[in-house]
Amino acid sequence: MTNHFNDIRHSKLLFFIGSNAAEAHPVAMQYILYAKEVNNAPVIVVDPRFTKLAAKATDYVRIRPGTDTAFLMGLINQLIQNDWYDKEFVRTRVAGFEELKKEASHYTPEVVEDITGVPAKEVVRIAKLLADNRPGTVIWCMGITQHHIGSSNTRACCILQLMLGNMGKSGGGTNIFRGHDNVQGATDMCVLSHSLPGYYGLSDKAWKHWCKVWGVDYEWIKSRFYNKKYMNKPGFTLARWYQGVIQEDKITQYTPIKAVVFWGISSQSISQYHKVKKAFEQLDLVVVIDPFFNTTAAMCEKDNVYVLPSTSQYETEGSVTSSCRQAQWRYKVVNPVYDSKTDYEIMEEFVKRFGFADKFYKNIKKIPEDITREIANGCLTIGLCGWLPERIKKHTDNWHTFDIDTLQAKGGPCDGEYYGLPWPCWTEDHPGTPILYDISKPVAKGGLPFRARFGTEYTYPDGRKENLLAAEGVANPGSEIMGGYPEFPGWKTDKNVIKEAIKRGMAPFGNARARCYCWNFPDPVPKHREPLHSPRPDLIKKYPTYPDKPDHYRVYTRYKSEQKPELAKEFPIVLITGRVVEHMGGGDETRSNKYLAELMPEVYAEINPRLANDYGLRDGEMVWIESPEGGRIKIKVKVTERVDDKTIFIPYSFSGMFMGRSMLSNYPQGFEPYAIGEPANIVTNYGYDIKTQIQGTKECLCRIKKA
Amino acid sequence: MAARKIISRKAPSGRKFTLNPKVARRSFMKIAAAVTALTGLALSGRLTKEAEAKAKKSPYSQSKIVRTICTYCSVGCGIYAEVENDVWVRQEIAQDHPVSRGGHCCKGAGAIDMVNSEKRLKYPLKRQNGRWVKISWEQAMDEICSKLLDIRKKYGPDAVHWNGSAKVSTEMAYLQRKLAAFWGTNNIDHQARI
Repeated sequence: MTNHFNDIRHSKLLFFIGSNAAEAHPVAMQYILYAKEVNNAPVIVVDPRFTKLAAKATDYVRIRPGTDTAFLMGLINQLIQNDWYDKEFVRTRVAGFEELKKEASHYTPEVVEDITGVPAKEVVRIAKLLADNRPGTVIWCMGITQHHIGSSNTRACCILQLMLGNMGKSGGGTNIFRGHDNVQGATDMCVLSHSLPGYYGLSDKAWKHWCKVWGVDYEWIKSRFYNKKYMNKPGFTLARWYQGVIQEDKITQYTPIKAVVFWGISSQSISQYHKVKKAFEQLDLVVVIDPFFNTTAAMCEKDNVYVLPSTSQYETEGSVTSSCRQAQWRYKVVNPVYDSKTDYEIMEEFVKRFGFADKFYKNIKKIPEDITREIANGCLTIGLCGWLPERIKKHTDNWHTFDIDTLQAKGGPCDGEYYGLPWPCWTEDHPGTPILYDISKPVAKGGLPFRARFGTEYTYPDGRKENLLAAEGVANPGSEIMGGYPEFPGWKTDKNVIKEAIKRGMAPFGNARARCYCWNFPDPVPKHREPLHSPRPDLIKKYPTYPDKPDHYRVYTRYKSEQKPELAKEFPIVLITGRVVEHMGGGDETRSNKYLAELMPEVYAEINPRLANDYGLRDGEMVWIESPEGGRIKIKVKVTERVDDKTIFIPYSFSGMFMGRSMLSNYPQGFEPYAIGEPANIVTNYGYDIKTQIQGTKECLCRIKKA
Repeated sequence: MAARKIISRKAPSGRKFTLNPKVARRSFMKIAAAVTALTGLALSGRLTKEAEAKAKKSPYSQSKIVRTICTYCSVGCGIYAEVENDVWVRQEIAQDHPVSRGGHCCKGAGAIDMVNSEKRLKYPLKRQNGRWVKISWEQAMDEICSKLLDIRKKYGPDAVHWNGSAKVSTEMAYLQRKLAAFWGTNNIDHQARI
C-alpha cells in the first residue's frame, strides 16, 4: 500500500478492482464506509462476482474474469481522450505518456465492451466519476494479480492513478490490501526465490552486501552452492516447485527436487492441487512445521513425512508488518503449549545440525531483537534502518497516542512519528513514511519523490528521447535540488549515504518520473491478452498470449502452446475462487476453530440460477466440477445471482476431501479439523504470470456434471 | 499461589504444559477445599464475601494484560490478551488501537483459540507403516536433518525446496531466507508468490 487504511478517510472516491474487502479485510471497512458516508465518496466495485463488498458499493461493475487490463486501459483512454487527466502531474512526474497514449487509444469504449462485457457507456461514466472525484484510492487484491497478465493488471492500476494525479496524495494512492498478517514483512525479507532480503535480487553485488551484513565470507557462501550460476539463478516458486518433482514440464536445474519443507504454509493454496499431491508421493522427504496437523501432512500417503509442532505466533514474539508497511511488535502472550517449539527454536535445531550455527548466529545473541537489528543493518533499499526493536516496541506500547486520522503521534514518547514507522524509515530518528511519493513533506518528515531506478534518460523504440528525472521545480520542500535528481551512489549499501541525502533534504534513491512504459517488461505498456483458457475463442487471435517461456523459475512454462481455442467447447464455464470471512488461507487454522467451523462448515459452488436450471441442478445438490488438467471435486451447489450465468465461484479455504474421497483417515485421531471440504485448487487451471509466475486462479475454465 | 503451582505443571519432557483454564479453575477449587479440610482453617464469612465479589468482577484476579497483534489478515488489529498463570484466559478488543479501533472480525475475535484449540498439534509425528507415530524432538530433528544432508550430498543443495511463511514474524521470515542462502539454494518461496 502506498497509503494506509486510516488514510482512506480522506478519499473522495474508492475504486476496488479484484478485492472483496468486506470478507478479506473486514476491519478496514470502517474507513471505507466512513469515506462513503462522510465524504459522500462513490464506491466503485469492479468484480466478476457481486461480493459482500459490492453490496456496499454505489457503483457495481461486473467484468469478465481476466479482462482487467482492457477495462483499466479503457478508463485511461477516456481520461486522455477527454482531457480529464492531470496534465500538470503528467508533465512533471510521469514518463512514457506518449507511448501510453498510443497503446491506450486502442481501447475505445466499444472495444472494451467487447472484451470485458462492461457496457461502453459504463466505461465512459466510470472514467468521468474517477475524474470528478479526486483524490480517489485504487484498491486491489488477488483478483488483479492471479492472472497470466497479473503484472500488467497491477501496472495498469498504477498508471490509472498517475493519470488522475492521485499518487503521493492523502486519500489517493495504489492500495493493495495484502492477505496474511505478515505477508508484507515476509515479502520484505524476500522469502522468495528471486531475491535476497530487502529486494536486493541475486546479483553478485547483492550476495556480497548480505555476506558483509551476516559477517561471513562470500567465498564460503559461494562454496555452499552447486556452482556460481545457481547463486544468481532464481529458484523454483511456491506455484510450481512440484514440477521439480513430477517434471511434466521440463525443468532447468541439474537435479529433481527430492525433499520439501513446508514451514508455516498451506499446500492447498497451490493450483492444480492434485498434481501437488502426486509430488508428495514421489518425494523422499516431506517436512511439515505447523501449529496444527495440516492438509499437507494428511495428503502424504507414503512413509516419507514428519510433522513438527511449532507454536502459534502468540507463544513467541517479534515484529510483524501490516499491509501499510507498519511494524508492530507482536508480544508473547503465553509460553509454548504442549510439546511445541517456537520457530526460532526449530531454526536453531536445523542450523545446529547443519553445522553452521557459529556463522549463522554471528551477530545474533538475543532472539529476536538482534535479528531485528541485523535486518536494520541490511535492508537499506526499503529504509528499514530506523526499525530498531526498541522503537517498534515503543510504538506498540503507546498505540493509544496516535491520531487515527493521520496516524501521527500527538505528544507522548512517540511524538511526531507515524504509527509503526511505515517504511522507508530511513534513519534511527526518522518518523516513517505514511504516504509514499508524497512531495508535500520534507523527506526527513516522511515525504518522498518517485524513485530514480532506471537511469536518467531513455530512448523509446521510435527514437523519442525522454528525461526520466522529475521536472524542474518538483521536489520535496527543503531539497537541495529543486527538481529531479538521480540516486545517490552507494545508498543501497552505505547508511552514511542515506544520512547525507536526508540531511540535504533529498531522497537517497533520487527523484524521478514514474514510468508508464516499462521496457523491462514483456509488454512495456500493459495490454490485454486473453486468458490461457479463454471462454472467448474468437478473441484469442486478436489478443494472443505470450510465447512459451522455457526457463521460468527453473521450469518450462507454457503460454502459446497452452492457449487452445477449442478448449472452451469442452470446458465452457469460467471458474473463479476467493475468500470467505470465516476462513483464512488454506483454512487449516480456522477450520480447527470450532466457532469458525460452525459459522462456515462446508464448501460450495456459487452457480447462477440460469446455469443451474440448464444443468438441472437444485440448491443444495451435489455437483462434480472438472478441470482441463484432470482435477475434479464434488461439492454442494449454492444457487445465487452473485455470479453471472457463465461463471462459478468457489471459496478456497477448504481441504480434507480429495476428488470425492475423505482424507480424514489420514489424520491422527483427535487432530482432524472441525470442518472439511474439497480444496478449490484441485480444479484451478494451468496458467502463470509472465513476470512473477503467480498462478492464474482467477481465469480458469471448467465443466460441471450433476453428481 | 496454590493456583500458580497447579496450573504451571511440567510436562514429562520438562516443558511447560498448559491446562485448559476452566479445568485449572476447577482443580484450584478442589485443591482449595482439600487444603481447608486438611488444615482445618476456613476463611471468615466477610473475607469469603469480598473474595466472591472480586471474583464476580474478574474471575482472574491475578491476571495481566498483554498487548499483541492478530495473526489473521494484514490489517494488523490490536488485541488485549488476558493471561493468568501462563494461561490465555480471555481476550478483549483494543478500542484504543489506532488502526483497528476496537474492530475485530469473527476470526480475530477467536484469536485465543489459536493457542487454546484442542486441535493443536501436540508433539512431533512421523509416518511409519501408514500410521502416525509420536516421536521425540531429538529423534525427529536427527532423522530429518540427516536425511536432508544425505539428499544434499547425493543430489546437491537444489534438491531441497523450502517453503517459508507469511505467518511468522519478520525476524523469523528473515531467518528462513538466510537459512536457504546458507544451505546453498534459491529454492525458497512463500505465500506472497501467489
